[in-house]
Amino acid sequence: MDINLMIEITPLLAKAAWVTIEISARALFFGFFIASALVALRTARILPVRWLARSYISVVRGTPYFVQLLLVFYGGPAIGLRLDPFTCGVVVGAFNIGAYMSEAIRGAIESVDSGQSEASRSLGFGRFATLRHIILPQSAGLMIRSIGVLAIILVKNSSLVSIISVVELTYQAQRLIGSTYKPLEVFALSALMYIVILYAVMGIVEFLYRRATRYTYL
Amino acid sequence: MTQATDTPMVELKGVKKRFGDLEVLKGIDLKIDRGKIISIIGPSGSGKSTLLRSINNLEMIDEGSILLDGVQVNRPDLKGLAFERHINHIRQNMGMVFQHFNLFPHLSTLENVTLAPRKLKGVDARSARELGMELLERVGLADKASVYPSSLSGGQKQRVAIARALAMRPKVMLFDEATSALDPELVEEVNQVMKHLAEEHMTMLIVTHEMAFARDVSDWAMFMDGGVVIEENTPDHLFSHPDQERTCHFLRKHLGNPG
Amino acid sequence: MEFDFSPVITYFPTLLKGVGATLLIGLVVALMSIIGGQIVAVISLYTRKVVNWPLRFLIWLFMTTPLLLQLYFLYFGLGQWILIPAIAVGVLGLGFHYMAYNADIFIATIKSVSSGQYEASRSLGFGHLATLFYIILPQAFHRAIPQLGNNMIIMVKDISVLSAIGIAELVYLSQYAISVTFRPFEFYITIAVIYYLINLLMETGQSWIERRAAARR
Repeated sequence: MDINLMIEITPLLAKAAWVTIEISARALFFGFFIASALVALRTARILPVRWLARSYISVVRGTPYFVQLLLVFYGGPAIGLRLDPFTCGVVVGAFNIGAYMSEAIRGAIESVDSGQSEASRSLGFGRFATLRHIILPQSAGLMIRSIGVLAIILVKNSSLVSIISVVELTYQAQRLIGSTYKPLEVFALSALMYIVILYAVMGIVEFLYRRATRYTYL
Repeated sequence: MTQATDTPMVELKGVKKRFGDLEVLKGIDLKIDRGKIISIIGPSGSGKSTLLRSINNLEMIDEGSILLDGVQVNRPDLKGLAFERHINHIRQNMGMVFQHFNLFPHLSTLENVTLAPRKLKGVDARSARELGMELLERVGLADKASVYPSSLSGGQKQRVAIARALAMRPKVMLFDEATSALDPELVEEVNQVMKHLAEEHMTMLIVTHEMAFARDVSDWAMFMDGGVVIEENTPDHLFSHPDQERTCHFLRKHLGNPG
Repeated sequence: MEFDFSPVITYFPTLLKGVGATLLIGLVVALMSIIGGQIVAVISLYTRKVVNWPLRFLIWLFMTTPLLLQLYFLYFGLGQWILIPAIAVGVLGLGFHYMAYNADIFIATIKSVSSGQYEASRSLGFGHLATLFYIILPQAFHRAIPQLGNNMIIMVKDISVLSAIGIAELVYLSQYAISVTFRPFEFYITIAVIYYLINLLMETGQSWIERRAAARR
């Protein structure tokens, strides 16, 4: 192993890793709102709206993220959608993970025993108040964990935006392998950075999970 | 919305309910005067729980009408949000106690009791706390105020659930097999709380398997089977000299012999 | 905006070739990752630390880093030492990646079966290996079916990533057609539809297999 080379390329990879974090974090943030909207639309009173939301989720989950990315980036201009690579990565990432996340949120909400909402309704709480005071606090733990799993997938998926030449971790790693001819060193370093990001995400998720489920061991 | 005192507290007229092709309530009439206690007994699947849940609109009835203190509960004419607003208001006047307690596990005992008054009636935190403590006192659990439901026994959970329902100062309390999920030795403490309520002249509708308790506490008893009221009478009469063969048969199975 | 799908029709035979390649790669990778995953799981559970620690490290490494990074490493890395065609890199890369994921599942299901079943089997007189092969593994496989199905459905979608290292599957062949016709939107939409159909078929197949597996219990 060429340690000197590794020290030399660390700043470059670290900078690229920050782009990976930035793109994933933004996609997760917007994805959460898209997911919440999808959950709401799936319970809308108007049938076509429910149907549309379900079809959207099904199509996004049924096609590769990579193809979605290529379609929006290269095919987008044909329908007047011109996005720079970074924005494209965030937008496609958000709309992609949003579909998965809506299923995660719905699953967490449905995991709460139906007796809970009955008890709440019988006291006179409306649908929304029941969701806010009774259902969400109890489903938050599961929701956080499932969103955590999706956040990790999002970080790994973000490597694909290297194809549309966003200079993130995988793009930089590939370029460095090409210029240094030291694949092992570059791979080891960039893998390490992905692993650090992943464990950071897992740490945050565990922290939030404990906070959300504190009542279970009080 | 308080009516003249001769208005029944709860009144059901020709209530029918279907689940798909199965008719579980085949035209039920029922009247509870204020301060009175009615018990409904019957085999499982007789429709007695569905009847109770219908009064709270947890099940939507298909035909007939339900009135609470003269105000109609089911309103086929109201749709969407308008009905939502109507039913939320109605439900605030009814206390419901479930077989499986359904306490809110993420809230302390006290918070379980005070959540509804605080959020629905806008009672301030201090008054809510006083009210909550007073109610927990009444069910004998004031010392458990800051504890979470997971550390309570079944009997204690059900007593908290009763306090929670009482916190909205309901006009009527509905008990849906409140002691059926409890270990035998825990039944009595819940029955005691219900007896206290009876002494305070709370209007109650009790669906139960506890024949002795039903006989002891109620003013009127009904036997249901197959979605209809087979027989109703004073508890003494119904439990000792049932007029109908089916009632007799049911009581024999559950008491050994009637009377 | 004006759409013209006629180039897609012109190049449909090319796309079909791509679909064929994608499905073939999927089949090979599925077999490799399921059989290999089971072997890896057994080795990492029932051998000494010298053997199973490196193996577990590799499983962990494959699961914590992105597929594309692994592909680049294999493609440029292996290419330095041995002459290896891209298609082999692609199949091996995807195969190892999902072998790790499947091994992870098998490790869990083998553990869940062997608590209880292992002692029962040994008490009947089965040896260690006989217990493993006749009692534990068949049940572990059975329990793994739903998750294996999920993994394979995800895997087929990941075949599209192989286009990045120049493997002539569906996306790569379409990119060639796009470079000639300048109709990216139409082609990528078509690919998405094709993938959606493949996915639908796989999900139907998965629920069929799961129903049959459940019936055999």
